Amino acid sequence: MDKLVIAGRKFTSRLLIGTGKFSSSKAMAQAIEAAGAEIVTVALRRVDIANKDDDMLSAIDREKYLLLPNTSGARTADEAIRLSRLARAATGINWVKLEVTPDPYYLLPDPIETLKAAEILVKEGFIVLPYINADPILSKKLQDVGVATVMPLASPIGSNQGLKTRTAIEIIIEQANVPVVVDAGLGLPSHAAEAMEMGADAVLVNTAIATAVEPAKMAEAFKLAVIAGRTAYLSGAAAESKKANASSPLTGFLRNE
Amino acid sequence: MGLLKINGKEQIFPDNKMPATIADLLGLLGVDSTTVVAELEGQIIERKNFSTTPLHAGQTIELVRFVPGG
Repeated sequence: MDKLVIAGRKFTSRLLIGTGKFSSSKAMAQAIEAAGAEIVTVALRRVDIANKDDDMLSAIDREKYLLLPNTSGARTADEAIRLSRLARAATGINWVKLEVTPDPYYLLPDPIETLKAAEILVKEGFIVLPYINADPILSKKLQDVGVATVMPLASPIGSNQGLKTRTAIEIIIEQANVPVVVDAGLGLPSHAAEAMEMGADAVLVNTAIATAVEPAKMAEAFKLAVIAGRTAYLSGAAAESKKANASSPLTGFLRNE
Repeated sequence: MGLLKINGKEQIFPDNKMPATIADLLGLLGVDSTTVVAELEGQIIERKNFSTTPLHAGQTIELVRFVPGG
């Protein structure tokens, strides 16, 4: 498969994994391995002083995987910028998955605050991967301020509804000059394959893998689906038609006419 | 007696137990400093400066670390 290039860095895998909701750090580590992922997202939170040994992320080999901190929990640009700076201080890495989600029910991203934060973070030297609604105009404006990818949602986070925003994502892909990573709502490998067949550069999956009965198996299924979808995209899909087109010859039948 | 606001909660330290630096505070709380980043009075303090950054009564400090998340 061809390489995914984000901000000049090459990746073999086109499946990004979120680390939330796994039942144990072991289940998480096994799923990341089975997914063949190279980029894994993490969140930043206050240390729980009462339960300070709860460091689930020690199971992640930071030499092998790029930790991509998100700004989840941020409701404004200012909060997202603060989290990004803290994350950079914690990792020494300047990559950030920018999320600004003021609405707790649908967790939809705020386009105005996201654009505002992206512009400031890019100026501060961050590699910014913004999580956005599937909005082609916003995608273009984010590209104009210098983001490294756009990450449009397929459907609300953790909803497993699949590619509800297909038409808008097709437009985003058509207009993109940065990688398009479809994020949020992909519930099945077939959803991921569909996004990749459309020409998405990568997908990010968390809930569908973490909450499967066997997360590592599901991670492998997503890995295969992403490879299948990308390969299909590169193959150039055959055209769809309304009527049937016989695959077998329409001559030489064993009947008298 | 000294008071620090740590992660939104006020904590009182007797005079002889008041942590002098961020590194002291982490030691006192039993928090592994290698995974933590601190913000003192809104300013990010890098890990390498934990042992040289003094704490004073009345200050607000945030201690954060990475947790699983999408």
